[in-house]
Amino acid sequence: MIKIEKRNDVPMVLYFFTPFIAIILTILGGGIIFYILGFNPIEALKFYFITPISNLYGFSELLLKATPLCLIAIGLSFCFKSNNWNIGAEGQLTFGAIVGGGVALLFYNQEGFYILPLVILAGAIGGMIFALIPAVLKTYFNTNEILVSLMLVYVSKLLLDYLVVGPWSNPEGFNFPETRQFNDSSRMPLLFEGLRIHAGIFLALAAVMLSWFILYKTYLGFQIKVSGLSLKTAKYAGFKGKTMILVVFMISGACAGLAGVGEITGPIGQLHRMISPDYGFTAIIVAFLGRLNPFGIIFASLVVALTYLGAETAQIFLQIPKYIGQVFQGMILFFLLASDYLLFFKVKILSLKKNELRH
Amino acid sequence: MTTDLRISNISKIYPGCIANDNVSLQFKSGKIYALLGENGAGKSTLVKILSGVVSPDNGEVFLNEKNLKLSSPLDAKKNKIGMVFQHFNLFETLSVFENLSIDATEDNKSLRVRINEILKKYNFSIDLDVPVLNLSAGHKQKVEIIRCLLRSPKVLIMDEPTSVLTEQETEELFISLKKFCDEGILIIYITHKLKEVLSLCDEVAVMRKGKVVSVSQTQNEKIETLANKMVGQKLAKIKKKINISKNKDEIFKVKHLNFYSDDPFETNLVNLNFSVKKGECLGIAGISGNGQNELFQILSGEIITPDTSIIFRNKEIAKLNPKQRREYLMAFSPEDRISQAAVPELKIYENVALNNFKSSNFFEKGLVNEKKIKEHSKKILSDFSVNTDNVELKSQFLSGGNLQKLILGRELITAPELLICYNPTWGLDVGAINYIHETLIKINDQEKSTILISTDTEELLKLSDRIVVIYKGKLSKIMPSEEVTPEKLGVLMGGGSID
Repeated sequence: MIKIEKRNDVPMVLYFFTPFIAIILTILGGGIIFYILGFNPIEALKFYFITPISNLYGFSELLLKATPLCLIAIGLSFCFKSNNWNIGAEGQLTFGAIVGGGVALLFYNQEGFYILPLVILAGAIGGMIFALIPAVLKTYFNTNEILVSLMLVYVSKLLLDYLVVGPWSNPEGFNFPETRQFNDSSRMPLLFEGLRIHAGIFLALAAVMLSWFILYKTYLGFQIKVSGLSLKTAKYAGFKGKTMILVVFMISGACAGLAGVGEITGPIGQLHRMISPDYGFTAIIVAFLGRLNPFGIIFASLVVALTYLGAETAQIFLQIPKYIGQVFQGMILFFLLASDYLLFFKVKILSLKKNELRH
Repeated sequence: MTTDLRISNISKIYPGCIANDNVSLQFKSGKIYALLGENGAGKSTLVKILSGVVSPDNGEVFLNEKNLKLSSPLDAKKNKIGMVFQHFNLFETLSVFENLSIDATEDNKSLRVRINEILKKYNFSIDLDVPVLNLSAGHKQKVEIIRCLLRSPKVLIMDEPTSVLTEQETEELFISLKKFCDEGILIIYITHKLKEVLSLCDEVAVMRKGKVVSVSQTQNEKIETLANKMVGQKLAKIKKKINISKNKDEIFKVKHLNFYSDDPFETNLVNLNFSVKKGECLGIAGISGNGQNELFQILSGEIITPDTSIIFRNKEIAKLNPKQRREYLMAFSPEDRISQAAVPELKIYENVALNNFKSSNFFEKGLVNEKKIKEHSKKILSDFSVNTDNVELKSQFLSGGNLQKLILGRELITAPELLICYNPTWGLDVGAINYIHETLIKINDQEKSTILISTDTEELLKLSDRIVVIYKGKLSKIMPSEEVTPEKLGVLMGGGSID
């Protein structure tokens, strides 16, 4: 017989250590997969995890991919910490990109220092508005935010599809499903000549600092913490539950919107169908791998960004479909959840061991 | 055939605490034995050893002179030791019969026959085919007892069985237990309720700090003598204070309080009207589940009911949330201290910050003032003699009594004009109960008012100036407490009427 018991006291050190265990297990698991596929696992893992960041360009690409992941995950941490399950960051990212992109297109033939801030602001507001939909429905109509936010992802993606094919498609674009190229005034400044890393990374870093401050040093952060641990207590303390749900969704949506606008004004430079390789969904893994802690999220976003890059090199050098990246992301989440389970619960096999069951 | 259970020199040491220190006890069938002690006295550990959940570091258990090896609950079952825990081990969504058939060794047909025999024999009326979640606590306990009886036990151990029962259910339980005893089952009854020991048991063993400090016939004992043995010191008897509030102003007045809920697990409240005078304690008695939860939440502002009027110190506060009500100098101590009044994962000072009243300056301009909160918490810990001075300690490591002191301290440090508390001493040991009762009396002495919602009649009679009974969401007449006797209260709590 197998018995599962809750552990009474989980050491905090271990709590922050298990993500590393999950990463090591993921690498081992990846090696096994490569071996089964007929590759030398050491070589393949080297292609996957080392080659992509062995030069400056690769490193810049890593930061480029980590930027939106970090931004979105920071926003999500506000929701998740307060027991609000916003699964639709991908939709908020898309809608933010639509609104920000719309503003950028408005100014396609103008120049000015004020255009980029306007575009960024529009993107953040777009994400915020889109996140308010599940939040308002949850607070006033008791709907389930998981379903609503998830379904809205498809709404925003189809809207983007419609716009780039229809009204916003480039009049000189030979009917390709894309908009005009944005004017340089609405593009993120590049940090280094020849590398794609752009100023959006400062937005992500600012979000990290700001979220740390809000979560740990303000009354809002305290309310988020208490509500996440016990809604009953939050109610008893008289926290304004509805307002808080709206606020965390707005923060989360704004961050996703910023990520979206960072992509289109950064590496992409226009709107088209594929503005995000599911950053909004992958960021959920990032948020949990980073333990919903702002600095943990920086680290986690770098790790997960590497799985994107590794998948691309694996495709080039090993001729494996780049969807191997999703396999790795899935493994990270799986091993993280599994090791968390073992962290919070102990499993005992009763018939084999005659040990006592301590309460 | 008689059963003879002997515990010999049992010791169990946990890191930092000796749970059982050389415990020896002897039990014979035909009697009901009480095992009495405060929380943490070592009763639970002893019971866990008897039921095979924990194995002792030292010592042996003999059943009819046979040395028992109890290394798992299965061993206990094999040796015909049955056990009903305080928290039920039932699958809520399965039916009664399905629950009973899970660990049965016979086929369903004969099992049903045997269950029906037991039901008939002991006059239990339980529908075997309803899901367990639809049963009352008393019926769930009966299902657990039937589960034990199906194995024709020689020993039946009951761990704090009445903590979830109504008075009537308790009486029924006692009748059944006496029947089992007459049939030769040895009954060990674990409790910290002194009255139950006196009314039910033949012999009582008192445990304190892991040791057996006394074994005696209950007929030679009184509540006071048992209490002294249990706590190990003479308890200063709290005097009921004189009713001084006859001509005082009403500071709190509730009118037309109605509450209707779609949730079948909630109780509707029908037109409640009452008031509290300055310096007075209004006791609200009742068996749990008669609307006290809902009433507390409405009084604290967690639930806002339309059309209700609540006047506090001449202001209408019915639409205010708990935080706003606190600003008007109300304070609340809910029943569920572990997961509502405090968050176990939070540190002591964070739990203190939950009562963030305006003048506290805990959060200035939206920012956490950690230093202030910690200073304030230290003061609460020392003023209310909480057994630690470490404000960084997570509150899950506080014992029930210390947690309740912390919560009361947090609520009282604002010097509120009205404290509303709900079962403030539930599950606490005698020492902590005494401390909390003294604190509540002190509040009234300082001309502040209290509303005491409680299921403990003794507590209500000790502390209240006036008492009202809630039954099925309705209030009885409000009575001055000197006119109230425990019998009268019992009748009203059971839905009867007096005069």
